[in-house]
Amino acid sequence: MDQLVTANVATNLYWLGRNLERANQTLYKISKTYDLIVDVDRDAGVKLYKTFDIELKYDNAVDFLHQAILGEHSANILETTANARESAIISRHRIDSEAFGEIIELHALFDSLVKSDLEIDYKLIDQAQSLISEIWGALSKREHTNKSDLFFRMGKLVEEADFRLRFNKDAAITDTVIQEIDAIVKVLSEDDAPANQTQSQSSDESDLITLINTKIHQVIVE
Amino acid sequence: MLEKNTELHAKFWEIFNKQDRHKIDEFQTYMDKFAVNFNLYKDGNFIEQSLPFDVVPRIISKEEFAKIDKGLQQRVKALNLFLEDLYTDAKIVKEGIIPETFVKEASGYLKEFVGFSPSQKIRAHINGIDLVKDSADDEWVILEDNLRVPSGSSYPLSIRDTYRKIYPDFFEGLNIEPIKNYPSMIAESMGYVNTGGIDVVLTPGRFNSAYYEHSYLAEKSGAQLVRPHELKVVDKKVYFKNYNGKLIRVGSVYKRLDDEFLDPKFFNPDSLIGVPGIIDAYLAGNVALLNAVGNGVADDKGIYYFVPKMIEYYLGEKPILKNAPTYLPYFEEDRKYIFDNMEKLVIKDVAEAGGYGVLFGHEMTALQIADLKTIVKANPRRFVAQELIEFYDEKCYLNKELVNRKADFRAYVVVAEDVKVWQCGLTRYALEEGNYLVNSSQGGGFKDTWVMEL
Repeated sequence: MDQLVTANVATNLYWLGRNLERANQTLYKISKTYDLIVDVDRDAGVKLYKTFDIELKYDNAVDFLHQAILGEHSANILETTANARESAIISRHRIDSEAFGEIIELHALFDSLVKSDLEIDYKLIDQAQSLISEIWGALSKREHTNKSDLFFRMGKLVEEADFRLRFNKDAAITDTVIQEIDAIVKVLSEDDAPANQTQSQSSDESDLITLINTKIHQVIVE
Repeated sequence: MLEKNTELHAKFWEIFNKQDRHKIDEFQTYMDKFAVNFNLYKDGNFIEQSLPFDVVPRIISKEEFAKIDKGLQQRVKALNLFLEDLYTDAKIVKEGIIPETFVKEASGYLKEFVGFSPSQKIRAHINGIDLVKDSADDEWVILEDNLRVPSGSSYPLSIRDTYRKIYPDFFEGLNIEPIKNYPSMIAESMGYVNTGGIDVVLTPGRFNSAYYEHSYLAEKSGAQLVRPHELKVVDKKVYFKNYNGKLIRVGSVYKRLDDEFLDPKFFNPDSLIGVPGIIDAYLAGNVALLNAVGNGVADDKGIYYFVPKMIEYYLGEKPILKNAPTYLPYFEEDRKYIFDNMEKLVIKDVAEAGGYGVLFGHEMTALQIADLKTIVKANPRRFVAQELIEFYDEKCYLNKELVNRKADFRAYVVVAEDVKVWQCGLTRYALEEGNYLVNSSQGGGFKDTWVMEL
């Protein structure tokens, strides 16, 4: 029998994948941008967050870290990891236990900043990225063993595609990411008909993401 | 007072004294990292917290546990027979063993289920029986039967796994009963009564205090974890709603929510949780519910008084494990005894649980006792009185020192074709010295329980 997964758990696994990848990609960008702000381009952070449609204000490089991670905006890392934690708790029976533990730790890392009033430094980003790598590692051990793992994988890929489109990355590689999403959608929808192929060149960024999201909504029936 | 040390205890301490005690902190790290939580609501806020854990296990010899095992099997068999009888022929009432009005006034008695017999005639499938060891005669005494939604088994299961990793010496050097079979005992019970379809664990949801346990037991037993609205009833059959909209037939439901919230069509129409129509499916014999609806009558604190009589009535045997001496103000003779001795008794409100509604006569003022007498007189069915049992303390390693704390023991008894007692359980200890209330909702902690032999 096919593995059974409720729509709620499927949705949470999907968003777990998205939020972890979002945290990962954003932390990578924050790290690069921090480096630029120090002595190359003071406005590098403003430009980065414009890509996310956020107007970010900061006084210096360290304050940039603070605003990027804890500031009141939608790309706030604390909130992204809190959302990942919540999704992990709801779907914990479908997640590798080591990976689950790392997700709780990842959020605790940022949450402790709020509780302790410690100053944020770049080492925190390294630490968080190492944790995310460990989570991917633990999850990849069983990434293709169950259908439920595919929801998680799909979330990760959708977020990756979103970032690639947002930052105008190589379209050919973006297409391979989207093809993998299409392949997962096909398996999850248990549909014999070939999935409609999505091409990154064929539409603009928001149309593509809308198209991908439509497919996902067709897979998960609430 | 501590129990006399045995050779098994000595072996434990011999290994304990050689261990690196700094590693004890790793247990808390583990529980935080893996969110081994018992959540609660305080002042309207949802608080995620882990249960306090103590590293010193309760040690019970295999020989001693064999008697507990036998006594609990006997008790749960009798309780199942009682429930089946009560809801069908009610011979025990007709023959005057238990007064009819006493049963019918129990809040857990559901007259709507009279005449219905569930799958395999089993009603109390997964049970938690609370015991203490009386220091007066070294005998285990039953304090309470929990035949509805007993929780707590996942905590010793989780911590044992961690214990084996942090301090393997104990498990290499001592002969400790393994405990990993508990989820398969649950799976066996669900499978035995399953009416055709998949097994599911029904949770109220992520904000329930025991969500961790629901998730853990579903994962380990191979059942699907579902929230009420993820089940659908069509033509008196229960279905699991898969992510793609497909409906999969459900044959057994291990429900982790109270009866009154199970089906808004049948019980509380204002309930926001519940599976509309599930009771119709149950009454049609199309799904098994673990534990059965209406079990509350058997774990009523007043009905507890009659369990030794049930054992004799249904099994023709003397009870192997005894009850705490209990008095019912409902009976005139008992009421007189209670009123004459209230300052040395424990008075319990039968409608309360989790350590709430428990009053210790020795802690009350004369005025409070007088008030309580008035309340008991007005509603004698609502209360029971028990002799205060001086149960043993357990040694606990709290705040880096060894101290004594009162501790009880919840044993888990699971029924399928046979009645089986899990060779472990939840030992709960009070956080403060001298406190008799060990419940988790009263701030009590837990420790592992090792059934051992030399």
